[in-house]
Amino acid sequence: MSDGNIILLGKGVTRTFGALRAVWNVDFEVIKGEILGIIGPNGAGKTTLLSMINGTLPLTSGSIRFKGKEISGLKPHRIAELGIARTFQIVKPFPGMTVLENVSIGALFGREKLKNVREAQEKTEYILEKVQLEDKRDVAVENLNVSERKRLELARALAMGPELLLLDEVMAGLNPTEIERIMELIVQVNNEGTTIMVIEHVMKAIMGISHRIMVLHHGEKIAEGSPREITNNEQVISAYLGERYVKKRQGVK
Amino acid sequence: MLLQAIVNGILYGAVYATIGIGFSLVWGVMNIINVAHGSFIMIGAYLSYTLFAVYHIDPFLSIPVVMLVLFLIAYAIQKYVLNLVVRGSVFITLTFTFGLQILIANICLLIWSADFHSVKLSYSSLSFQIGSVIIPYVRLGIFLVAILLTLLFYLFMRKTKIGIAINATALNLEGAKTVGIDVGNIYAITFGVSAALAGAAGALISPIMSINPFVGGNLVGKAFVVAILGGLGSTVGALVGGLVLGLVETVGTIFISSSYQELLGFVVLVLVLIFRPQGIMGKRFY
Amino acid sequence: MVVEMRRKAIVLIVLVLIFLVLPFLVSGFWVRLVTGIFMFAILASALNIIAGFTGYAAFGNMIFFGVGAYTTAVLMNKLKFPFFTSLILSGGVAVLLAIVLGLLLLRLKGHYFALATLGAAEAMHQIVNNLTDLTGGGQGMSLPQMRGSPFVLNLFFYFLMFFFLVLITFLVWRLSKNRLGYAFKAIRANEEAASVMGINTTYYKIYAWSLSGLFTGFTGAIYAYWFTYIDPPTVFDVMMVVKMFVIILIGGAGTVFGPIIGAFILESISELVWAKFINLHLGILGTIIMLVVIFMPNGIIDLVTKKRSFKGIIKYLRENKL
Repeated sequence: MSDGNIILLGKGVTRTFGALRAVWNVDFEVIKGEILGIIGPNGAGKTTLLSMINGTLPLTSGSIRFKGKEISGLKPHRIAELGIARTFQIVKPFPGMTVLENVSIGALFGREKLKNVREAQEKTEYILEKVQLEDKRDVAVENLNVSERKRLELARALAMGPELLLLDEVMAGLNPTEIERIMELIVQVNNEGTTIMVIEHVMKAIMGISHRIMVLHHGEKIAEGSPREITNNEQVISAYLGERYVKKRQGVK
Repeated sequence: MLLQAIVNGILYGAVYATIGIGFSLVWGVMNIINVAHGSFIMIGAYLSYTLFAVYHIDPFLSIPVVMLVLFLIAYAIQKYVLNLVVRGSVFITLTFTFGLQILIANICLLIWSADFHSVKLSYSSLSFQIGSVIIPYVRLGIFLVAILLTLLFYLFMRKTKIGIAINATALNLEGAKTVGIDVGNIYAITFGVSAALAGAAGALISPIMSINPFVGGNLVGKAFVVAILGGLGSTVGALVGGLVLGLVETVGTIFISSSYQELLGFVVLVLVLIFRPQGIMGKRFY
Repeated sequence: MVVEMRRKAIVLIVLVLIFLVLPFLVSGFWVRLVTGIFMFAILASALNIIAGFTGYAAFGNMIFFGVGAYTTAVLMNKLKFPFFTSLILSGGVAVLLAIVLGLLLLRLKGHYFALATLGAAEAMHQIVNNLTDLTGGGQGMSLPQMRGSPFVLNLFFYFLMFFFLVLITFLVWRLSKNRLGYAFKAIRANEEAASVMGINTTYYKIYAWSLSGLFTGFTGAIYAYWFTYIDPPTVFDVMMVVKMFVIILIGGAGTVFGPIIGAFILESISELVWAKFINLHLGILGTIIMLVVIFMPNGIIDLVTKKRSFKGIIKYLRENKL
């Protein structure tokens, strides 16, 4: 695997809030074209890491290179222009605007920066079909249900035409059918060439779609590998279920 | 001369603090910038003047009455009118209070005419001297009462049940409702207290300022600066803010011509907003 | 949809034609009255760009009016520049000011921004007041009078204001549909999300305020030449901006024609009240302001189309109040 295949490279990425170590000295790499899953107990620093990648939060120290270019310290809109898009755990739709308008903004100001509203809306229609929201195109976003809002959030990010897509718990609050739907969508998007980093708590889903998994705990990376390797990793199990459980398992073995 | 300016600054500063505390309270608790606060000060001054002119009551003595009247007026306004728009954006609430301000100005105009009035006390010109510094008794009295009011307010907010309820409502509206606090009532009381303090400030300044229905704007400008300087949600902050403003004005005019005095206040306001919007004391709650 | 648009276009054309012939049909008083309404409509539209569209309530927007007025006054009075040159330069100065102020203040949000702009406007007021040699200070400044009969003068200012009104309305109409407008609206809707989606919020906020300042400055310049005399309290009067906000509220924030409708309604009522109840004029205006805020926060068109009865309004308020 040559370096040209690494689309995102993080070295010593650290974010502290006073004495709190939200993310501590994390090295990571994301291979172009893969789906990298990020898991870890609550408060592990997953969202913080994502926020540092897309520029919402500055790094306390360390570096992040996207396609070889240093992006830590750049403003979020600059990073968006370079080709990174993200969804938020707590969705942030544009109130007072329709679904179509919301998603069009991604097309207008994302990596492709379409100049023409009509062009943007055409591209948007295509994306709305993908996420199955095309019949809601003229609905005000306040009137969408949870599943629709999550898909809207995803659609907005997709409309930006990103090379790297960051998904933050996009499945939270969805029922099993909806989760299946989104999983298929994510895989489809990935097949079309977009590299994806996913934070998820729904284990079955994330294990099912990720090529590789990275595990964070108390802000540090404690494991990395294929989904299979991770499920058997003792440190990971300990982090989620506690040391006593691990000891118990060892006892049973 | 510098010393005199400093003393003057402190004396004026306490009044500014009284003007600012109520304004800061309403902003901190209900997120309303009450432009009509200046009008409340003005009503206080007018009431004090009327009581003095007609019944010969000294302004210092009429303070409790003035405070009560203003509390009742403001309570009613908040309860029946302002509560309807209190959750609106700054667009809405600020525009509303501007409307209220000019309505009050018009009412004062009708009752008291556009002439300038002031309270001329028999002891206005008496003063004492410490070293080279001259302190008029009136000013000293104003200073002491202002400090007293600030202290009473501080105790009210910390030690009384209502004060604590106000704090709770300000910090967490939904939480306050959940524990059974009647927030509409609390807001009304808050507005009332704010106006009462404004009225007291008005009574305090009636001996030293010419009153006219349009001074409200100028006064609320001072309140803005004090509130921002001191930081919302802090009694001590308002006091500090008031003193700082007073000092900036009096000491500043030694170095810059007095016609720039107004300008100083606004420059300070804008600079603080840019560089330290949380004010000197930072965000805290009473 | 197309039929509706066709109907709207016809109404618009008819209105424009009416306005074009109006000054030839009515007395000077009415011509000046309508010119004044045009002026407020432009000011409200300009404010609408930064406040209604972009969500930054610039309560100090009169700073551009005053600066525009004084730039023209100084250029024409002291440097003997012709009017149109002064007009353009006034616009330029206003834009420069918007950029500088924007860089300093647009990082603030909500109340803090509103307050900061008020403070800046008052500070400018005081500065102009104190630069007596240049601006005449508190005494004010007079401008050279335009030559011509009263009739011609009325026409000149009427059509000049009308021209700028049409211009800004066209601009705002474009904004409601084009990419630039989307940026403004996104910033208002959710600034953080806008930034993450690639919108350079600092740039666009300053752009919005510059557009707003430009037209406000132009209007101030025209006002100065029209009235031939200006003084600081008049051109830096915060009540002007309050009226602009009320106009926007009446007409509907973030709409294209709202400010125009609002200007006509407010100024007509204002004139009526001034004519009949001069003593109560402020009080009535204040009461109207409060009533508009309570009952029409979304504009009069919203009020009319939703057919809210009085009872309905009270019920709506009760549910939404606390």
